[in-house]
Amino acid sequence: MMPVEITKDEILAVYPKVAQTMADALGCDVEKVALNVPLIEGLDAESIDFLDIVFRLERAFKVKIPRGKIVEDAQGDLPDAEFERKGYLTEVGLERLRDYLSEVPADRFRLPMKVADIPRLFTPQTFCKVVVRALRAVQGDDSRGRVSEGTGAPNTDG
Amino acid sequence: MADRFSAFSFVDRITALEPGRRARGRFAVPAGLPKFSTCLVAEAVGQLAAWVAMARAEFRRRPVAALSGEMRIVGEAAPGEILGLGVEIESCDPDAVAYGGWARLADTPVLELRRCVGPMLPLEDFDAPEAVRGDFETLCGPGARPGRFPGIAEPDLALIDRVPGQRLRAAISVPVSAPFFADHFPRRPVFPATLLLDAQIRLALRLAGETLPPAPRLRPARVTDLKMRSFILPGQAVEIETAMRSAADGAAELTLAAMVDGKRVATGRVEIVPRGPA
Repeated sequence: MMPVEITKDEILAVYPKVAQTMADALGCDVEKVALNVPLIEGLDAESIDFLDIVFRLERAFKVKIPRGKIVEDAQGDLPDAEFERKGYLTEVGLERLRDYLSEVPADRFRLPMKVADIPRLFTPQTFCKVVVRALRAVQGDDSRGRVSEGTGAPNTDG
Repeated sequence: MADRFSAFSFVDRITALEPGRRARGRFAVPAGLPKFSTCLVAEAVGQLAAWVAMARAEFRRRPVAALSGEMRIVGEAAPGEILGLGVEIESCDPDAVAYGGWARLADTPVLELRRCVGPMLPLEDFDAPEAVRGDFETLCGPGARPGRFPGIAEPDLALIDRVPGQRLRAAISVPVSAPFFADHFPRRPVFPATLLLDAQIRLALRLAGETLPPAPRLRPARVTDLKMRSFILPGQAVEIETAMRSAADGAAELTLAAMVDGKRVATGRVEIVPRGPA
């Protein structure tokens, strides 16, 4: 279940289109979008923007990005009760998330963390990785070891 | 309850349905109205998509207006005319419905919606699910009684700031109570996004009129990247703003925004063109 590592080159290959998509969705200049800027705190993204971003990325890259799956993918095969309790991540859950969102600085993973607050960690790079996984799935690149848990995006209820 | 399924309902009948995929419907614009806004034509298309999505979700969830990638306005519907409606659902799951759609008068296009997305929320928060299911069966069967829509008074615009040719800001009066709140929605009244858009377009037309060369009349031709960020509730103080992005060849593109308590609740862009032969 461990995701195959995504290379910097793969991320940089999709980044220009991802950055433009983010800028279009958030109504800001593309120059304001940086690979590792937090979308919520840095670019004022709200839950409806995540839904917008996911649909725009699907159209831009002609891929399917199931909603609400970044968290699901991070959880992987960990049972629900070991990943979170009463809406808060467990220590093991936090570790899983830190591994999955390896692009996010380690000091941003601190308990207590609500599951609902996980999108606060997301950056354009998070979505670059989502796109790379989705593209791999489309291309069926088994030589890389297809990512069985699929691709993801934040759950939104806006 | 008399206003439920009438005061803000714009589908009289669903004439064809491929569950979860597409639908065709109709709405007879009541003859007695003084006019029928293009934004309400868009509402009719969105409501047809909502019926398909709610049926798909077995009336457990309903979509709310949130994103509209592009709305092309190519005609108008006058009182007494019958709108043909169509929607094509791109995807529909418990989280969101994505769709496109159109409205026509016979073979004449009036409006087209592209790349629309509505988050799906629990239906029971907005209305009684069994009543909604019953309404859907009515629409798919004999149809609802036409002529139910009584019309809506346009909210007043009160200018609060003006930079000539560049920017206009106005307060709009969202009523504390109105018949349409009993239909949109019975358990959770929300000011319809299409009524907000109508007010925003009126403000944009005013600014475009100050900037563009004199033309007999101006009209909105295209609304893009419309996004509703949160609900507007009855009686809330809403400010709307429009700003000129570009103007050339007698046409203009303007930004649209709406704020509640200083927070952005809606954004988008509109293209204004001279009214005339196509």
